Amino acid sequence: MELSVVAFWILSTIAVVSAIGVVFFKNIVYSVLSLISALIAISGLFFNLGAELVGALQILIYAVAIVVFYVLVISTVPQYKGEAVDPKYALLSAPFGFILFLELAYVSVYGLWASNTGIFSPDIFQQISNAKAVATLLFTKYLFPFEVASLILLVAMIGAILLGKKDIVEDEEGGA
Amino acid sequence: MVPYEYYVALSGLLMVLGLIGVIVRKNVIAMLISTELMLNAVNIAFVAFDFKLHDVVGQVFVFFILTIAAAEAAVGLGLIMAIYRMKKDVDVEKLTELKG
Repeated sequence: MELSVVAFWILSTIAVVSAIGVVFFKNIVYSVLSLISALIAISGLFFNLGAELVGALQILIYAVAIVVFYVLVISTVPQYKGEAVDPKYALLSAPFGFILFLELAYVSVYGLWASNTGIFSPDIFQQISNAKAVATLLFTKYLFPFEVASLILLVAMIGAILLGKKDIVEDEEGGA
Repeated sequence: MVPYEYYVALSGLLMVLGLIGVIVRKNVIAMLISTELMLNAVNIAFVAFDFKLHDVVGQVFVFFILTIAAAEAAVGLGLIMAIYRMKKDVDVEKLTELKG
């Protein structure tokens, strides 16, 4: 068996088991730890597919930066005491989820996908690296969406600060 | 090499698991974490299609999804903090009022 096949099965098993843990762990801290495990396994899958830049960004942004947000908020909000899973929705979601998965798997295996039309065949990736190919496209054809993404990050930062801070009006009234 | 269909099927499985998480969990933070799983499922599908089609456009879009996920986590968790400060609860069964 080829090494990439072994890597795929191991990493996808880790990802799926961790995703089940994210959904069904009662303690939210265990859920976040499972999320880190799933994210790192998915990053390994990206490396396995030959997308090094995205795999590295996945670890840097998701598994470090975003998870730190969650850990901070979980440490601020006291531990949730109620039951983790709503039983009536759990019973209802299982058959619907199964049917949805069957449909997604069916269209992914038997779907009529377009044939490969891109220019980045594996021998071109031998000459220029994956990071160079992605960055070239990002800074030429998708330059405007890239700039808009920076604007979205700025708006999200301002919004998070405004939402997260304590109510100023109340404080001023209290002080006056 | 693993056929790319397996990657897309894995993406579908993670998507369904994230959807089930959003449906069944009662804690708002856990619902937001399940949303992250769904975003990651989409990322896997994008990169798998790049692998199939010999292209890198999907990876550019994965980059944008990472940006949006960071913004979503920041704003969503800020909202959860604001809701918690007002209601002292994160249970979705008890956060049913639209009035502030």
